[in-house]
Amino acid sequence: MFGRAKKTVDESKILEALRTVEDPDLHRDIVSLGFIKELKIEGGKVSFKVELTTPACPVKEQLKAECHQKVSAIVGVEQVDIEMTAQVRRMNVGAATAVLQGVKNIIAVASGKGGVGKSTTAANLAMALKVSGARVGLFDADIHGPSMAMMFGINSRPEVTEDRKIVPIDAHGIKVISMGFLSGPDTPVIWRGPMVHGAIQQLVRDSAWGELDYLVVDLPPGTGDAQLSISQAIALSGAVIVTTPQDVSLLDARKGLLMFRQLRVPVLGIVENMSYFLCPHCGERTEIFRHGGGKKTSEELGVPFLGEIPIDPSVPVGGDLGNPIVREKPDSPAAQAYTAFARQVAAQLSMLAESGGKSLPHAPIMPGPIDWK
Amino acid sequence: MAEKVSPTNMRQVGPKDLEITWTDGHVSTYPVVYLRRSCRCAACVDEWTGERTLRPEAVPEDVKPVRIEPVGRYALHFAWSDGHSSGIYSFDHLRAICPCGECVKAASGESPGS
Ligand SMILES: Nc1ncnc2c1ncn2[C@@H]1O[C@H](COP(=O)(O)OP(=O)(O)OP(=O)(O)O)[C@@H](O)[C@H]1O
Ligand SMILES: [Mg+2]
Ligand SMILES: [Zn+2]
Ligand SMILES: [Zn+2]
Repeated sequence: MFGRAKKTVDESKILEALRTVEDPDLHRDIVSLGFIKELKIEGGKVSFKVELTTPACPVKEQLKAECHQKVSAIVGVEQVDIEMTAQVRRMNVGAATAVLQGVKNIIAVASGKGGVGKSTTAANLAMALKVSGARVGLFDADIHGPSMAMMFGINSRPEVTEDRKIVPIDAHGIKVISMGFLSGPDTPVIWRGPMVHGAIQQLVRDSAWGELDYLVVDLPPGTGDAQLSISQAIALSGAVIVTTPQDVSLLDARKGLLMFRQLRVPVLGIVENMSYFLCPHCGERTEIFRHGGGKKTSEELGVPFLGEIPIDPSVPVGGDLGNPIVREKPDSPAAQAYTAFARQVAAQLSMLAESGGKSLPHAPIMPGPIDWK
Repeated sequence: MAEKVSPTNMRQVGPKDLEITWTDGHVSTYPVVYLRRSCRCAACVDEWTGERTLRPEAVPEDVKPVRIEPVGRYALHFAWSDGHSSGIYSFDHLRAICPCGECVKAASGESPGS
């Protein structure tokens, strides 16, 4: 402006403005959450980073726009540069830290019964988190029918390092380990209780996962010993329950929920798969009989509803080609639905980590082990 | 569904006591020998009758945990100095056997206050 000497904008003014921006999931302003990093002011030029709790933040763009607008409104500010980054918070502490030190969150994908699209959901959840920029691993713990190798087009066996660690297979940037790796395609292994327990424990603990923001675990369907084994072998950060609109599957979902409560694994929410049909030609939406049951169940049971995924004939095609639809056809409605769901999952985990697990009475952060002195 | 309590903190207090602080604020202090004698594993309790087969006097008075580890999110595993290590103590069980006056009273039927 004419005649006015350039004056540096006051840092406190900027923080004051940013204090009015609230993270809608964590319900706190982004300054007290510690999201603002590297705030620099040079004359009228302001730049800073906003460090979110997950790169898969559902409202990333909205937050950025709001920060931009609020800071721009301060007198004397001429230019605002904002970089959105993320540092995933850790929900995995206690029991698992000794064995899975580099893994911040472990998400189990479960379903009360088979065939509801649990593995497809797990694959696309992992893929969507990866695409958002997170470091992701995928553990196929479905001893009855491991399917991740196929869904990710993996046909090699993992290597074992000198210190006897199994190196996960890299598939589209995701680190994959499968119970299927333990047996050849022609030599099905008959799993018995104690064996399952040992095998799961060994595979998950002895794999070289490295640093991961999210480890997605595809559980076997049902609520039996195998699920119990996994919940014992690793401290799951949270579980996602997949249902379809069919009644029986909702009933099973309810059973799954009760099981996780018993094991004190936080239930992050319910996702309804094959919720409605979108005609690939005309885009017309056909509701499936009893569509909406997942939402109703989640309300009844007091857990978040994480989204609904349409039936899309490209979903199985992507699965067969080793290319989850989130990667194969990212713009399709099904891929977008998976992505929105993945963001809800990430948001739920951020909230859990932020509250130290206190938002769920069943699942505080576990105390660490004690060596008696 | 009744809210389940979980530990928020767990620590060794002196040579003989384990202290657990629960989500509802309650603090339990367990003499470790009492915990060893409360083991409910198949070797210590008859699976069919539910009767305790472990005789209390068979556990040395100076028994100590070697290591206590969380199991998943719902229980603790104890490895003991007497070599026993097959017991998994669910949080529900641990809370139920809290030896404090208040809990013992509540367990014996006279619910305190309410
Ligand atoms: N949204 C969808 N639209 C169309 N087809 C789908 C969708 N989700 C899953 N499918 C298809 O349904 C079938 C079952 O899915 P998936 O294998 O993921 O289920 P699952 O619950 O893991 O089954 P299982 O119990 O056998 O492990 C697959 O052929 C898959 O491609
Ligand atoms: Mg499957
Ligand atoms: Zn025992
Ligand atoms: Zn007590």
